[in-house]
Amino acid sequence: MTILKPISEFKSSLMQPNAGRRSFIWKAGAAFSALFATTIMGTSKSRADETGTLNEQVNQLSNQLGIHEDTNAIRSLHQTYESHLDRGMYEKVVNLFADDGEVVFNGGIYTGKEKGIRRLYCDQFRSGFTGRKIEPAPGFQPDPAQHQDIVEVTLDRKSATGQFPYSIQVGTPMASNSSLVEMARLQGEGIKKWWEGGIHEVSYVKEGDSWKIKRLEYRVIVKANYAPGRSYAKPIDVPAFAETYPADPTGPDKLV
Amino acid sequence: MNTPMHRFKYTKLTKEQIDKKLKDIKDGPVCASEYSDVLAGKSLKIVTDDGPALEYKFDKKKNILTLTENDGDPIKSGYGALTLKQMVFFSHMIPKTQKGYNVFVDLDTNLVTVFEVWLSSGKKEMTMSQKEIVIDDREVQRQIYYGYVEIAGQEAPKERHHSTNRLEGTGMYWKQDTGIETLDLYPSVFSSNFVELTRHVDDLSYCSPSDYIMVDDNMFIYDRTECEFSGIMTLYALDLFTETQAGMRLGLNEKDELEYYMFRGTGKVVGHLTSLAPFDEHGESISLGAAPKAKPGQEPAPPPKGQRYAYRPERDFINMTEEEVHQAAEKSTTTFSSVPEGPQAEAGMMGGNILPFSDLLVGKEFTLRYDHEGPVWEYKVLDLYNLQWREEGETQWQKETYRTFEADENLVFFAHIHSGSRPRTARRIALDLTNGLTTLILSKMGTKYYGNEVSYRAIFGAAEMEGVPSPQYVRHEFTDELVGRGFTRSYSDQMTSMHLYTTPHSSSWTIYMGDQTLGAQWCAPAIYVKLRDGVYIFDLVEEGCNGAETCIIENEKTKRACGFGYSGGARGVGLNTIGAIARDIGGYDIKHFFGPKAKVKGV
Repeated sequence: MTILKPISEFKSSLMQPNAGRRSFIWKAGAAFSALFATTIMGTSKSRADETGTLNEQVNQLSNQLGIHEDTNAIRSLHQTYESHLDRGMYEKVVNLFADDGEVVFNGGIYTGKEKGIRRLYCDQFRSGFTGRKIEPAPGFQPDPAQHQDIVEVTLDRKSATGQFPYSIQVGTPMASNSSLVEMARLQGEGIKKWWEGGIHEVSYVKEGDSWKIKRLEYRVIVKANYAPGRSYAKPIDVPAFAETYPADPTGPDKLV
Repeated sequence: MNTPMHRFKYTKLTKEQIDKKLKDIKDGPVCASEYSDVLAGKSLKIVTDDGPALEYKFDKKKNILTLTENDGDPIKSGYGALTLKQMVFFSHMIPKTQKGYNVFVDLDTNLVTVFEVWLSSGKKEMTMSQKEIVIDDREVQRQIYYGYVEIAGQEAPKERHHSTNRLEGTGMYWKQDTGIETLDLYPSVFSSNFVELTRHVDDLSYCSPSDYIMVDDNMFIYDRTECEFSGIMTLYALDLFTETQAGMRLGLNEKDELEYYMFRGTGKVVGHLTSLAPFDEHGESISLGAAPKAKPGQEPAPPPKGQRYAYRPERDFINMTEEEVHQAAEKSTTTFSSVPEGPQAEAGMMGGNILPFSDLLVGKEFTLRYDHEGPVWEYKVLDLYNLQWREEGETQWQKETYRTFEADENLVFFAHIHSGSRPRTARRIALDLTNGLTTLILSKMGTKYYGNEVSYRAIFGAAEMEGVPSPQYVRHEFTDELVGRGFTRSYSDQMTSMHLYTTPHSSSWTIYMGDQTLGAQWCAPAIYVKLRDGVYIFDLVEEGCNGAETCIIENEKTKRACGFGYSGGARGVGLNTIGAIARDIGGYDIKHFFGPKAKVKGV
């Protein structure tokens, strides 16, 4: 599975200049600065020019406003995603994806909303109660300054990308058929659980007036043997998926 | 001949057969004690949360009530009522149906707990292997409603009786007015152990799904339903101050006779197990069972009426013949590791906390001579993983892979399979290198019930070994020293259960839930052997369950357990290592309830 750099390194890599992308992508924060700057500059133009410029400005402002709305909509979409996961509403999570969406999780790629993605959330995640939000493990708390969301919407407002930190419980059913495990399963347990912190790297696509998740990658920074209430944690290694579906009934469609 | 509950073949009674059994329920329950007339001539309107509205009118003279349920047609039925301090408990069935109500009215608070009960539920459940089964019609179902008595002009109380963990760990001895004596041990928040001291002769304990409801700090309501056995239900209110109870029993016993009676009882608290749950956990909400699987496009449905956790291991168990098990064993007999001579044990779920392997036997040669014309085996231990053995008098040695733990100072516990044996046999041998005493737990695949259930016996003897005495009379012995005690068993950081040594011949195991509340339970016959002070063999086979054996030595000084598991099935036969870290969580003073007096003293 993908091994990530520590969060500080990862974050600083996000801050590197990327002229190619910035030429057609508006950053949400930058959009507001540009909005005011353009308005002030427009006052010194001739009337004819002014009309054209004004139209252009109106269009631009309108687009910028739209981008701002899109940015908020995407943040809201991600909050919904996290909220559904937190409450174990896995079916509702699936509905947030585009039909041809995909998810990268634990070294596997799940493709297609109704097949791979449903299998990931409704089988794999549900069986381990994966996705419940828990606080970061002691000693692994990320730097708050780096703990921020980033949303970027393309100028044509048809697609977007986002990065959101996450801190969740991940679980997988214990691989045993002993009576202890079977009994534990019946009471909703028999699950090996750990804490996982990282970044959701997401791309979005607009379908009609609403945004859908096109691709979501769990970029893990650290996994630790932590449960809420514990005072310590240590990092653990969790094997990535080794088999694909159907050999692994809840496995991915492809390995990374 | 007595047949213990876990071996008894209960009749699959049909709804029509049960109808006939219930023909006299219109008269209400019987009772050895005198009924209370506290309700005579009274009316009660009971409002329940998410349940029925029940309006009762009680006859002035006879034990007859008229019930109007949800403004339906009035129904007349016989009933019985008993009081327990401020609690009035009345029970009735609805004639010509298989349904009834059991109502606990708290006269101090006007709060009410209602148990709706019914038979022939047609209820479907998914087994552990996701096989859909229909629950036996004879199994009494229950749904609990909390509510209050509506009193004109008075505001509805906001409080309710509620589920609780306050009884978790408590154990009671009870003697009913019927003369029936039981031990009711409450080690879980949704299950309980019970020992029938008078109904049965084998001193075995059993487990049943249960509910625990708190009325106040000393009064509780408890029920159990003997799921996977007769399906009979026992329900009572208990007061811990006075150690008294008032309750009812409903269902069809092993003779398929209707038992519907109310009872009073007196008892005694026999001890407590320490709860390891968080201090701020009060058990007011108990999540039972894993989330049901949703249909595509839908979220999981809410729990169905009457949902409860019932461990039904036999529903998934596939009985195999001796021949089938032998063939499976021929294909795969795994001893400790897929690589028999490999240094690493593939310990699995039960072996995350195993002790290191001991080299105390390496290079040793000895003879183990077991009593009463038992086996006599000569051993040569080659290295940490391999030994040779032969029957006394034979010339050929047989090589086996083995593992040894040092369970106490110079007390070793080693095990190996008898390769090629039919049925496949495993030996677990405790050998005390200080006094030459040895106990053999000799197990083989198959019982008279089916081929993939392990049968076992303990045989005592002495070793003949250079530098070690070989006593002729002194032996290890069966013991009841552990009876009543509870120990956690952490097999790994992810799996902890609790062994409760319920009787001299049985034990239960309970699985800890995520917050370390005690949850799912099951019971099985077991044996206990004393090796030294504080060092015991505990051997249990999950009879009528999955047929697997757990054989450990537990050392009370180190709080460590080490041993071996033996099991077989379609996948073959396996002998595995077991290791656990223990915590002593207390126990019950119950030894004196079991066995002939001479035996009760123990060793």
